[in-house]
Amino acid sequence: MTASRLVYQPFPVVGALILIALVSLSGGCRKEAPPPENTAPVKALVSSLRAEPRTFNRYAGRDSVLEIFTLLTQARLVRIDRRTQALEPWLAESWTSSEDGLTYTLKLRPGVTFSDGTPFTSADVLFAFRAVYDEKTGSALGESMRVGGKPLAVSAPDTSTVVVRFPSAFGPGLRLLDNLAILPRHKLEAALNGGTLGKAWDLATPPAEIVGLGPFVLKAYQPGQRLVFERNPRYWRTDGRGHRLPVLDRLTLEIVPDQNAELLGLQTGQTDFTQSEVRPEDYATLKRAADAGKLSLLDLGVGLDADSFWLNLRPNRPAVAKRPWLLRAELRRAISHAVDRRAFAETVFLGAAVPVHGPVTPGNTRWYSADLPRLEYDVPAARRLLAGIGLTDRDGDGVLEDRAGATAGFTILTQKGNTALERGAAFLAEDLKKVGLAVDVAPLDVGAVIDRIERGDYDAVYFRFLTTDLDPALNIDLWVSSGSAHVWNPGQSKPATEWEREIDRLMGRQVAALDQAQRKALFDQVQTIVAEQLPMIQFAAPRIYLATSVRVVNATPALLRPAILWNPDTLGVR
Amino acid sequence: MRSLGAALFALVLLAALAAPVLAPNDPGQTFRAYLYAPPMRPRLVTADGRWQRPFVHPLRLVSRLEQRYEEDVSQAVPLTFFSRGKLARLADESRGPWLPLGADREGRDLLARLLFGARTSLGVATLATLAALLLGVLAGGVAGYRGGIVDEGIMRVAEFVLVLPAVYVVLALRAALPLVLPSWAVFSLMAAIFALVGWPWVARAVRAVVAVERTREYAAAAVSLGAGHARVLFGHLLPACRGQIGAQAILLLPSFILAEATLSYVGLGFPDTVPSWGSMLHEASNVNAMADFPWTLAPAAAIFAVTLAANLLVEKPDRAAW
Repeated sequence: MTASRLVYQPFPVVGALILIALVSLSGGCRKEAPPPENTAPVKALVSSLRAEPRTFNRYAGRDSVLEIFTLLTQARLVRIDRRTQALEPWLAESWTSSEDGLTYTLKLRPGVTFSDGTPFTSADVLFAFRAVYDEKTGSALGESMRVGGKPLAVSAPDTSTVVVRFPSAFGPGLRLLDNLAILPRHKLEAALNGGTLGKAWDLATPPAEIVGLGPFVLKAYQPGQRLVFERNPRYWRTDGRGHRLPVLDRLTLEIVPDQNAELLGLQTGQTDFTQSEVRPEDYATLKRAADAGKLSLLDLGVGLDADSFWLNLRPNRPAVAKRPWLLRAELRRAISHAVDRRAFAETVFLGAAVPVHGPVTPGNTRWYSADLPRLEYDVPAARRLLAGIGLTDRDGDGVLEDRAGATAGFTILTQKGNTALERGAAFLAEDLKKVGLAVDVAPLDVGAVIDRIERGDYDAVYFRFLTTDLDPALNIDLWVSSGSAHVWNPGQSKPATEWEREIDRLMGRQVAALDQAQRKALFDQVQTIVAEQLPMIQFAAPRIYLATSVRVVNATPALLRPAILWNPDTLGVR
Repeated sequence: MRSLGAALFALVLLAALAAPVLAPNDPGQTFRAYLYAPPMRPRLVTADGRWQRPFVHPLRLVSRLEQRYEEDVSQAVPLTFFSRGKLARLADESRGPWLPLGADREGRDLLARLLFGARTSLGVATLATLAALLLGVLAGGVAGYRGGIVDEGIMRVAEFVLVLPAVYVVLALRAALPLVLPSWAVFSLMAAIFALVGWPWVARAVRAVVAVERTREYAAAAVSLGAGHARVLFGHLLPACRGQIGAQAILLLPSFILAEATLSYVGLGFPDTVPSWGSMLHEASNVNAMADFPWTLAPAAAIFAVTLAANLLVEKPDRAAW
């Protein structure tokens, strides 16, 4: 700012006249002029991305790269602070709710404009809802923006007010809107009307066409190399001292598919931070660099995602006809008993993990329950359970056979190249061998694993799903039997088992309850059923470490991904 | 230099054959408290300077997460020799395992895996070399002897195989097979694939020699004396190719060892439970392995030794006189 004053000082009168002229011109025009450029040193950071973007259109795709892109270039009505989990005003500066909790009236922040200067109004919000519910677009967001399968009803009494009505009671309330990026109506409405919104803003779109309400604008996209973002000079947020955000002038995301190369980039100073957490085997190297003052190593505590093991519980697949015991809860309980979780944490995560007995880890402080039933390490108990379903060692070779004389075993799919998963699967195979189960491990590319999970072409999987939201009502697809993420037997037309029917019932009540204590109690019941039936078995939740260069300041790392870029506008550089 | 190569080759073969005796531990046994443990060197001198029969200092874990171990110099566990079928082992095995070359990421004895891995890697390479030689000699011999359309046909097929992208062929074949195959099936499959990829090199060399030799007088004399085609080919012409066949064998063997390493490295070879040099290198494919756990790269040294031995073996004996 000092530099700016020096430039204008010799011409105060002319400068004032120009300023008056500009102000009067802008009064007759919808678009505001950007603030004057300053000549201070460029504040720039470089991060890495593990994959290429596939689209720039948040309504057309759903992947982690697109999520990061959207966080940088777009904004939502409300935002969940990923560290505190508090809901905070964002494009909506305030809201009120009706007595029955079904209707929310949101007041939009005044004076906000898109990066091209077009004002943001309630019409953009209406457009966003139209877009995600549009059948031709087939937006992945459309599913997550429904309550009980029904869309929200949205209206706009004036340009700065939006009224959102939920079709039925919904416990998380406006937290649902944290998913919904408000894309510019003036750029995309024609595509929506023409039925081509799903193809809009593809990778060939000129960066200048992609405007938004986020802290950055896309400056350049070089396929296979990088995405370059520059600060949005019209971004609406200021920091606590009234300085306009974002702090950074430029943010570059280098596309580095390989985690080893990503780590090297960090060690050599080519990148300032990555999107991946530190692998246990890399900790020693990064700790040395941190001790030498070259990097900062951040301990975020116990993570939200425990690697999960599950058996394919689809009842109609051919393997089940030959080996019906694959569906038995006793088998799952025996597996849980057979694995020494403490040794698992020590071996698989090199001690940087805590044993867990359910899918919700201690990292999720709001929803974690410490009082769930636990099946502790007990090899004799595992053998008894297996004998109870007819799996005994009939020929004395140390391997169990079923009543038909077939070897009791299965194959575990896991992700190739992910060392924690590979090591975990090998650990499981070894411990299960001790109780007589013949287990093979098949490491496959991540795409092949997901493909087989979706097709149901597997016996068992050991894999990690990334939590997208801490509130179980916003991950409802995992819990209810009809959900697409109900991985062990997804998309059921009616619950295949009594315990799944009970979970459906409890989750229905949990989602609708407005009292938070009641929601927690109901979800504890769900977790108890899951801990007893073990459709998924978790053994350890890793601690999460992040490494950044010492240049990075004001990072606010969170356990939910993206750990740093969820809050990009205050990110600074030393 | 050829004798050096032969000696090196013999040493590796001997080590592979004697693996059960040389390896102090089972290659599949995991020592969960010893992940990435460093090599435990046998010593003769104690910390206070006294000479003692060979012993090792047991390892003490300093930091699991940082994978730091220290030798506990206050303790010396003696080694015992030629006991229980092992060349050397710890006299008191209750005080922890002896890991002469250190441990891998699952705490398995690297020396044991290296020695047993030599059996797998050399076994596949040897079988594949023999099969490639058999196919190549037959195809090259027939092509060179018959000439004409037979020669054209066989050589075009050979050239077609040579231009196939081998890795993609293997990928396609592997994708068509069940997810998990028994070790013997992987072994046979890999040997068969290598033989199919390797035979054209042998065939081209043999064909060139046979095509020249069949015009020589001794071949014409054999024909005029009533020898059949098979007798002429196998009894007279192919023996003239012995030098070529030997050279091809020596070149193919290390290239198949490298191919096994490559396929296992990319996860298309042996499963992790079967020690092979390639699968061991796959486990060591971490950017920090070189700095933090250099012992996990031991199979790379073994592959280098075999390749060097093969190259020394095919060196001209009179090169030193130049």
